[in-house]
Amino acid sequence: MLTAPVLNYSLLAPILVVLGGALLGVLVEAFLSKAVRPAAQLAIALGTLVLSFAQIIRVRNLTSLTAAVNSVTIDGAGVFIQGTILVLAFIALLLIADQDNFAAQASAVPGSEEERSAIATGKIQTEIFPLTLFAVAGMMLFPLASDLITLFVALEVLSLPLYLMAGLSRRRRLLSQEAALKYFLLGAYSSAFFLFGAAFLYGFSGSLSLNGIAAAITGGQGNDVFLLIGIAFLSVGLLFKVGAVPFHSWTPDVYQGAPTPITAFMAACTKVAAFGATLRIFYVGLSAAQWEWKPIITVVAILTMAVGAIAAIAQRDVKRALAFSSIAHAGFLLTGVLALNKSGLSASLFYIVAYGFTTIGAFGIVTLVRDSAGEVTDLNRWIGLGKKSPFISGMFVLFLLSFAGIPLTSGFIGKFSLFNAAYETGNITVVVVGVLASAVAAFFYLRIVVMLFFTEPTNDSVTVVIPSIMTRFAITFCALVTVVLGVYPSLLLNTTQTFANFLK
Amino acid sequence: MNPYVPILVIGAIGFGFAAISVVAAAITGPKRYNRAKSDAYECGIEPSPQAAGGGRFPVKYFLTAMLFIVFDIEIVFLYPWAVTFDKLGLFGLVEMMIFILTVFIAYAYVWRRGGLEWD
Amino acid sequence: MLNLALHVGATKTPEAVLFWFLAPLAVIAALGMLMAKKAVHSALLLAWVMITLAIFYIAQDALFLGIVQIVVYTGAVMMLFLFILMLVGVDSSDSLVENIKGQRPASIAAAIGMGGLMVTLIGRASLGRSAVGLVAANTNGNVQGLAEQLFTKYVWAFEVISALLITAALGAMVLAHSQKVRSRTGQRDLSIARFRGDSLASAAGLPSSGVFARHNAVDVPALLPDGSAAPTSISSVLKARGDMIESAIFELQPKEEEEN
Repeated sequence: MLTAPVLNYSLLAPILVVLGGALLGVLVEAFLSKAVRPAAQLAIALGTLVLSFAQIIRVRNLTSLTAAVNSVTIDGAGVFIQGTILVLAFIALLLIADQDNFAAQASAVPGSEEERSAIATGKIQTEIFPLTLFAVAGMMLFPLASDLITLFVALEVLSLPLYLMAGLSRRRRLLSQEAALKYFLLGAYSSAFFLFGAAFLYGFSGSLSLNGIAAAITGGQGNDVFLLIGIAFLSVGLLFKVGAVPFHSWTPDVYQGAPTPITAFMAACTKVAAFGATLRIFYVGLSAAQWEWKPIITVVAILTMAVGAIAAIAQRDVKRALAFSSIAHAGFLLTGVLALNKSGLSASLFYIVAYGFTTIGAFGIVTLVRDSAGEVTDLNRWIGLGKKSPFISGMFVLFLLSFAGIPLTSGFIGKFSLFNAAYETGNITVVVVGVLASAVAAFFYLRIVVMLFFTEPTNDSVTVVIPSIMTRFAITFCALVTVVLGVYPSLLLNTTQTFANFLK
Repeated sequence: MNPYVPILVIGAIGFGFAAISVVAAAITGPKRYNRAKSDAYECGIEPSPQAAGGGRFPVKYFLTAMLFIVFDIEIVFLYPWAVTFDKLGLFGLVEMMIFILTVFIAYAYVWRRGGLEWD
Repeated sequence: MLNLALHVGATKTPEAVLFWFLAPLAVIAALGMLMAKKAVHSALLLAWVMITLAIFYIAQDALFLGIVQIVVYTGAVMMLFLFILMLVGVDSSDSLVENIKGQRPASIAAAIGMGGLMVTLIGRASLGRSAVGLVAANTNGNVQGLAEQLFTKYVWAFEVISALLITAALGAMVLAHSQKVRSRTGQRDLSIARFRGDSLASAAGLPSSGVFARHNAVDVPALLPDGSAAPTSISSVLKARGDMIESAIFELQPKEEEEN
């Protein structure tokens, strides 16, 4: 007779609540009538996130290696990342709740009679809410998972709903479906790499847990070739998810094609979760082998910063431009992975919060700029928008300045502390490239500012629609966080300092 | 003697029987052809070159196949569970019940939305 | 090369025979899958590769993996592949125009380079070393050993997988299922319509084709008791398509009847 495994439900509660909410959402889809579904789903989704956040508050100072039979590590950094994901998901959900952005019936062929009748009868695809919750559950598990099997399962749980939701745009549906297909195929491909790497790391260490791998590296008994192949392939899987060069090619296409609220959710929350996991894997599992992977990851970080910043300049589409900017930010965050010390971790935690809110806010504003055919993402048609609606344009500029890392915004503090941490470890090259890339990116952001405010508006039908109360709240909140963290960074810096530790 | 030799022998006999049957039938059988014999289906209908819709299956097949895979994978987990049922005890039963009930929610959704109806 | 020979010599002979018999077939089938012009041929060759792999798994004492390979991959996933081929159309072929110039040779070179690198690396790392741990893992039987891990150590991952399955079902429904706007006519509705109709002649359903006649083909009408043909016994589709043979030639001739 085997002994029963012990799960610590109290420590797993944040994830369990989200999973439970998602299941409830599926049941609502199954049994409630069409009329009440949207309201019920929104209430369930938001309630779930709030409830889960309350659980995070409860477990915030607890640590455990054995919450789920050694598969999940509860520690400061993990709990902090979980909380960040929850708040960001809450804000993104407010944008998602604006159902106007999603296909009335995803199964109807674009342009068909069926699609027209679905729109006319006011159908909506409320499955988006449980799917979002499943993705959030995966994202919350990913940075906590401390064995390779759980990591892989979490990676799939977070990715699968995203592949799906990327294809549900209401307008320009073929573009959206193409984006979903690309994301799915490349994502599946990178998952295979991840799995391959995991197999080799197991072959190297005989253990699937990060601690076991770390012990095997220190012990020096294993087969080094397996270790190298394992690290290489595992990194490919992770770098794909964070969108680092040269595994970034999906990012602009998917960010452009996906419905904008989903892009916001994906850009913010996926990046937070993926970096959470990347940080844990490299800090806990592979730090003893740092001389093997540091040179390569350094090159990747430099390439990512450079390509992201330079390619953004050439973009004519605002969503693609933001996608390249998110690639550049992945590069900045990789310097935090390279630092491998407490200040690097703390700076990374601050950076993902700053980046997450700014990103959601920026994409939130993209959902508002429209003409009769839907969102206008062509940058040339944004010319002079600042004169038509100065307030919204002003907020967009604020987000751009934060992306650029201009002082008095959260982005400045984030970049400063990250580069500081990298400088402490003597990684001067990365810092220099980072600063240069920031300068290039700043040029691009300032060009948009000039376009918005200092160019005469053309006779275009582009307008900023009056946002719904939820979108308004989401954007305002993001702007507020961006400013407050820029002016009083110590509010969050102290917290990240306290939480910046991985339990080994 | 190697235990695999009988298996190889049986394999050879089986292959040989099939081969000989085909050849023997071709040599000894009567050959009387007529139009009905050369039809694909001897029901009187000549098969048209392509089915309606250009020989393409509707997307319903995809849905059915996908749902089949979902529950197929559930069964894959049932197999090791059933094999070790005696050793797993009560906790194994509870684990599997949670798993099945969770996936059953997906089933309820599919059923209520008419995913199991063919048309 | 010498190393390789030694390694093979170390495995049990039947397994080596099996390997050298099936492995070339698997490789040929895999290459054929890449090069086949028709998608259906590729799919069938892929099925063959999968079955061969399953045999290898079982031969190497990974029973569970072998069974799953057959049940899930060769069974369910291949079926999905073929359905999707039919969805796209069997006759539709890929566009062979290169969007990026020189992509094909470049990617073939990259694939061969990558494959070569992996084979060399893994070969260098594993040849001449014996595998460890299989006997310990299979002490109580392969499936049992796996179950013990799955339901104790990795129970959390196992339960979370249910979320994946639900997502898959949701996704399939969202992308492929359109809910009907009007309710469909069921058997019950059809039955009511038959009895509420003007005539009760067809209340029990229309006659089948060819019944009591010299032929039972679907395009030959049934004969009524008086020997005349019943045109209603032939599907309206056939009539519309003009596939119906002239009914009169099948009617029984009264004269013949008298002679009998």
